[in-house]
Amino acid sequence: MKSLLTGFALAAALIAGPAKAQDVADLNDLEFAHAAYTADVIDIRYAHLALAISSNPDIHEFANTMIRDHTAVNEAAFALLEKLGADAQDNWFSQALNEGAEKVIDDFSQLRGNAFDKAYAANELAYHQTVNDLVENAMIPNIDNDEVRALFEQGLEIFKAHEMHAEMMVKALEE
Amino acid sequence: MTHRVLRRDVLAGMAAIFALPVPPSRASSSTVHEVTITSFRFEPETITVHAGDVIRWINKDLAPHTATAEDFGWDTEEIPTDQAVEIKVKPGMDTDYFCAFHPHMKGHIMLE
Ligand SMILES: [Cu+2]
Repeated sequence: MKSLLTGFALAAALIAGPAKAQDVADLNDLEFAHAAYTADVIDIRYAHLALAISSNPDIHEFANTMIRDHTAVNEAAFALLEKLGADAQDNWFSQALNEGAEKVIDDFSQLRGNAFDKAYAANELAYHQTVNDLVENAMIPNIDNDEVRALFEQGLEIFKAHEMHAEMMVKALEE
Repeated sequence: MTHRVLRRDVLAGMAAIFALPVPPSRASSSTVHEVTITSFRFEPETITVHAGDVIRWINKDLAPHTATAEDFGWDTEEIPTDQAVEIKVKPGMDTDYFCAFHPHMKGHIMLE
């Protein structure tokens, strides 16, 4: 239960107050790109943890989809940055995301069976809700480059599908 | 829940026999029905076909998708971005399908 709450705590921390969202909005395009890349990599790490610990086939199916889709987005992001001749820039928000993820992974590593599955599903839902909200409302309206914005819009569409999928998974595990 | 995937594994072999995805060139004489996958939707969501026709799914999304029968009797397997996979319509094939990667995506075939 403590671990389950950590996921929500992370989500809550990331959306805590307009100041935080405002700070995210102030990042530049290359910092947005780095944060999005970091968020993708974190979800891929969660998925690998799920594949290692869970024995639920639906969790495996979901985790494999997270790896497949977030990898596709990151490949597209790399291709675009290369085309633009730019490098993503590390920033405080990427670092905050990584710190939150370390804590979640530490906590979830202790869980087994249904406790893990429920915590993973709940965290995936909370994580996608939080990130989607920031991408949609703090990042996309403040992106300067049209191609970068278009990629973020495509990414958001994918992450919203994941959010819906995570919601289905949370409900199924309650039954 | 466990069922579904086990059944899927068993039927994967059968799918290979009944509904082998056909390379585009071999389907040139059949009526081809195109279904575009865009924004996590099959468009059109319902298509009307006859046995012997070919259904071609084209993935316009960045994310890979599949078109997979609800009973797992046929499966395009992974369709990468900007690629197409075709399935030949067989009498008696399952007419409800979904995306195995994003199970809320659903499509329907009217087999006449
Ligand atoms: Cu899909």
